[in-house]
This record gives sequence, structure tokens and C-alpha cells, in this order.
Amino acid sequence: MDLQTVNANVSKVPFFRFLDFEVQRLDSLHADAEMTFASRHIGNPVLELYHGGIIASFMEATSAIAVHPEFSDVPAKPINLTVDYLRPATKGPLYASAHVTRKGKRIASVSAISWQTSRDKPVAEGLYHFLLV
Amino acid sequence: MPEVTKQKMERIAQMWNARGSGLITHMALDIEEVSSAGVRVRMPFNPDFCVDKDQTLLHGGILTALLDSVFGLANFVAIDGVSTMATLDLRVDYLRPAYSRADVIVRAHCFRQTRHIAFDAGSIWFDGHEDAEIARGTASFALTRGETGLFGATTEGKAS
Repeated sequence: MDLQTVNANVSKVPFFRFLDFEVQRLDSLHADAEMTFASRHIGNPVLELYHGGIIASFMEATSAIAVHPEFSDVPAKPINLTVDYLRPATKGPLYASAHVTRKGKRIASVSAISWQTSRDKPVAEGLYHFLLV
Repeated sequence: MPEVTKQKMERIAQMWNARGSGLITHMALDIEEVSSAGVRVRMPFNPDFCVDKDQTLLHGGILTALLDSVFGLANFVAIDGVSTMATLDLRVDYLRPAYSRADVIVRAHCFRQTRHIAFDAGSIWFDGHEDAEIARGTASFALTRGETGLFGATTEGKAS
């Protein structure tokens, strides 16, 4: 699956356009993406911090692509998620990296992180489950 | 927990509506009920939040964002003398696919507060279908006690 096709599919999903991100790297069971900051992503208007729900949504979107990059209509079906918020995310680009820890016949487990300045300083970590059937 | 006064509720609604930009404004949230039992908020259908071409299936992420926001509101209602608040962690179960163009209703409450931490839980359903929840979530928040009060908590502290 080439990046161009994946990003073309990403741009067809209304909520992915709302998030405004691009997939930058894609291997088997792994996806990296970059999100562009917009005022609609803000949770704290004074400090201009990202909303926690936007960070969780971005990691969910990246995780869904890692699980099923060749989606053409609807992305992989999420079951549930757990997110740890580690640092505030400030105005500017946000990166996410998702790795499929296990992909079974019915269920996939994905671990994701997001960061800004450096991967060693994650903004949030997440665990996501997807239903494959 | 004492009953929430009309004055406090008006102050909360005013503060909520005064957030000139950002996701909460975009979600066009409407506070329907505030009481000691928790809060109830309505989010109108928005095609931007869908994943399918027909725009009838909501993305799970927007439900997660909605829970996080409404937990914040539930904390303002339940806790006095908080100057900052940050989401520590959040868990959400997507109970069924969110297929509908109906408004979304969220109910949330802070079920335990300590000096440093608040614990919240909430449910989401489509208007008129309370018996068919689409998502349920729990979260914990780190609190900083101080004199800044309600407004300070929204403008200074919330790191999410």
C-alpha cells in the first residue's frame, strides 16, 4: 500500500479532514502521521493547548491505519481505548506513531504515542483495540 | 454534595459559552442540566465528525473528546476551590456503532474527589435512545487547589 493511496483515502474521511493529518510512514503493522495545528483543535484557548480528545482521536486514527491501511470506505472499527496524558500539547505540529502489538483473526491491539519536540517526550500514550470482523 | 445553586450554574454556563474558540465551540455544546447528580449536555449532529461518505457514522474520537470536555464541566460543578485541572487518563468503550444523525446526549458526573484527584464517569447515547448507549467512559484528573476558582481553572490549567 503506497502512501499516496492511503493519504487519498484519509482525505475522503470527513473527521480525518477535521483532524488534518498526513500519513508519513507505513510499514507492516506500523504507521506514523503528522497533524497540522488548527484553532478547532484547541482545548485551552488561553494557553492554546490541544484538546485531549483531539490527541486521543489522532492516535486512534493513526492506530486504525496501522491496523488496516487499505481501508477504502470506513476505517478499522474501534472497540475501546485507554489514554495516558503525559504533557500538555502546545500550538504546532503533533506527531503520532502507532504499532500493532497483536493482530489476531478477530481483534487487534495497538499501542500509540504522540509527541511534539521529541519522541522521548511523549505528550500522550494510548492503547487501542479494533474489531477486524 | 450540596445542590448546585442557580447562580453557580449560570456562572458555569457563561464561562462555557465564553470560550471563544476551540473544539468545545466547534462541538456547539448545550448544557441541559446541572445538578448534584451530574451534568447533561447535548451535542448537535455535525457531518464533520463522521467517518463515512454518507456522513451518518460518528468517529469514536469525537465521542472521546466529548466525554473529556463534559468531565471537565462535571468537575467544575462538583469541586470548589480548584485552580487548575488536567486529564490524567481516559478510558472509553465504544458500545455500538454510532450510526445516526440525531443529536448526541452525554451524562457525566464526578463520583469521587480527593485533594489532588477527581474521578469521573459518563455515558453517551443518541437523543431518544437512552436504552442504547453508544459509549461509556471513565477518567481521572489531577487537581491543583487554589483561590483562582472556576474561571482560572478553565483559562489557566486544563492541559487538555
